[in-house]
Amino acid sequence: MTTTTAAPRRRRVPRTGRTGTYASGVLAWGYAALLLIPFYYFIISSFKDNEQIFTDPLGLPTSLSLDNFAEAISSADLDRAVINSILVTGCALVLTLLLAVPASFALARATGRAGRVIERVFALGFLIPTFAALFPTFLLAAATGLFHTRTFIIFLLPATAMPLAVVILTQFMRAVPRELEEAASMDGASPSMVLRHVYLPICIPGVATVVLLNFLSFWNEYLYSLIIIGPDPAQRTIQVALPTLKLTTGTDYGVLMAGTLFTLLPVYLVYTLLQRQMQRALLAGAVKG
Amino acid sequence: MSSTLSRRALLGAGLGGGVLAPMLGGCASLMPAASGDETLVVHAQFAGAVAGADVYRRVVQRYREEFGAQIATLSNGSDLPIVFETSVLAGKEADIAIVNMVGKTLAWTEAGATVPVNPYLEEWGLADRITDGAVEEWTDEQGRVRAFPYTRTNWPVAFNHRILEEVGLEVPTTTEELYEAADRLRSAGYGPVAIGGSDWTGQKLFMQILQSFLTPEQAREVFASGRLGDSPGAAAGVEHFVELREAGVFVDNAQGFNSDSMLTQYTAGESAIMSSMSSALALVPDDRAAETTIGGWPVPASAVLDQPSVIQSFNGMGLWISENGSRKLDLVRPFIEYLFSEPVIGEFILESGRDMNAITETRSEDYPLVAQAQDVMASGTVDPVILPDLLIPDTAFEPLTAATAQAYGPGVGADQIIELVETAYRNV
Repeated sequence: MTTTTAAPRRRRVPRTGRTGTYASGVLAWGYAALLLIPFYYFIISSFKDNEQIFTDPLGLPTSLSLDNFAEAISSADLDRAVINSILVTGCALVLTLLLAVPASFALARATGRAGRVIERVFALGFLIPTFAALFPTFLLAAATGLFHTRTFIIFLLPATAMPLAVVILTQFMRAVPRELEEAASMDGASPSMVLRHVYLPICIPGVATVVLLNFLSFWNEYLYSLIIIGPDPAQRTIQVALPTLKLTTGTDYGVLMAGTLFTLLPVYLVYTLLQRQMQRALLAGAVKG
Repeated sequence: MSSTLSRRALLGAGLGGGVLAPMLGGCASLMPAASGDETLVVHAQFAGAVAGADVYRRVVQRYREEFGAQIATLSNGSDLPIVFETSVLAGKEADIAIVNMVGKTLAWTEAGATVPVNPYLEEWGLADRITDGAVEEWTDEQGRVRAFPYTRTNWPVAFNHRILEEVGLEVPTTTEELYEAADRLRSAGYGPVAIGGSDWTGQKLFMQILQSFLTPEQAREVFASGRLGDSPGAAAGVEHFVELREAGVFVDNAQGFNSDSMLTQYTAGESAIMSSMSSALALVPDDRAAETTIGGWPVPASAVLDQPSVIQSFNGMGLWISENGSRKLDLVRPFIEYLFSEPVIGEFILESGRDMNAITETRSEDYPLVAQAQDVMASGTVDPVILPDLLIPDTAFEPLTAATAQAYGPGVGADQIIELVETAYRNV
């Protein structure tokens, strides 16, 4: 005995809907191409010399020699600069989290007026323009004896990141159900244990968002690193070292592109590791909204 | 419980180690000079891919080894002046700065950031070692020699004689010949004069063309004030520039190109003529250099000049002594004397193609165009004109470049160009 099941009837998409789907698809792919073509240009140029870059900008390179990369690294001491950037960025990120997480925890649990005021004070940090803070920051560095050291930047960067970090994390921590905290407290957990064992695991997407956004900001920081850390190749960060590959005349763009690509690798690595958590955080926000 | 403690201890150790160790390391003074008076701190623009940067690194290392000297080397590119100035404010500036005399650095001696080197020229035996023209150019209005002039540049014109011969011409020396060359080159599919219309190379050529109709004194006045409309010579120069542009002398879309695209157009054989500084000539590959003749910018019939023009400048990197350095002359003097020694000067000329201000017989063997540029200057077949950089106010520099970039665009008349340039100066 055979049974026949009727094939599910495919819902007909209205003609106008199909047109919209195709149009949005074309636009999406067009936009993706707009992003990918410069990226493609950037990568292939890393393997070319100036003549190839200028005369055949989109053509494939004739060789995949890594000479441009070697030249960039040796000319601008990029290896040391990358280590310095990792050091500065890593330390500043750790310090940011050490300060922002407890602050956000306290603000999220605060019910009084003082908490709201302090939260707004943190948010006011967004209003300080980078350039306006440069001169007082320089004076502070000189007065503390930390001018031309990485130490000052490691302390400075978290200060600049606190508004964003606190605002994001506070919102995440407010979403944690109070019942969880009460249950933990009844089991004898101290506030710090509640933070570590209840709040933090739930807020991991928020922490990842803060880490990712601040990583990009710290890694790409140029002005303060240039002025405060200064010109010592042993201490300068990648953003200060890289421009030395740009010349007044006769810049070797292949070498410059290779150096830039080399310095972007850690960024891609961190973004790949954290992007899923960040997307989760954004989606969580969307659902809540 | 013990596992919790263990995790906590591990976390604490990790964080403490991760944060505190580099911080403590970073607390150590950046400059060895600050930790001892026996270290010489040198802040140089010989950095990255700059011509001579590798020679400089090698020379410093050799100096360390030969004399057991402690030298801390700091480096920046075009951002050196601002970094040096903030260091001065903090009292942590390097003892010697090796940097161009242009823009911000012009004010250093007056502001006391660096000390005049007049007394040391004789005492250290460098007065006879440096060309007189260089010392003169590096001297300010008060007679203070700002620094020891080290590198320099010429700004001749490179002509690809193979391409010119291909279209049946020789190297043009007059405007009429240049017009004919432009026509024939375009007909044969070549670009005539490659120029970076959007950047300083375009600005330099524009000012050079103006100088065909200006005496050096008039040129100084015009470049310092920017008042082209008040100078009949400058106005005639602008008219002439427009005629050249309209005759197709410059490559198409020149207003969109920069110094790098200019160099590439020439080295790729797409253009037959290029106005270029000598350090860029050092970058022309051998095969193209072999078919290049160095000369000057063709002279118009009604010019004040008799011969094609070449921008001549003794400006390049100089060795500036800071206030800190003036307290360590026992360390500064031998290092500067070493940099001016014949073997070191020769090394820069032979291995990096640099033009140097030191008096020397050494010639650029591996950089034949640099040597040709020197020979042309000495031959008397070209007329030198001044480099406007030392006269243009620092704050007018970028607006002026933007104005001359527009001048290379089609349809911009002489009056409009004069207005653009004067506006660039007015907005200072």
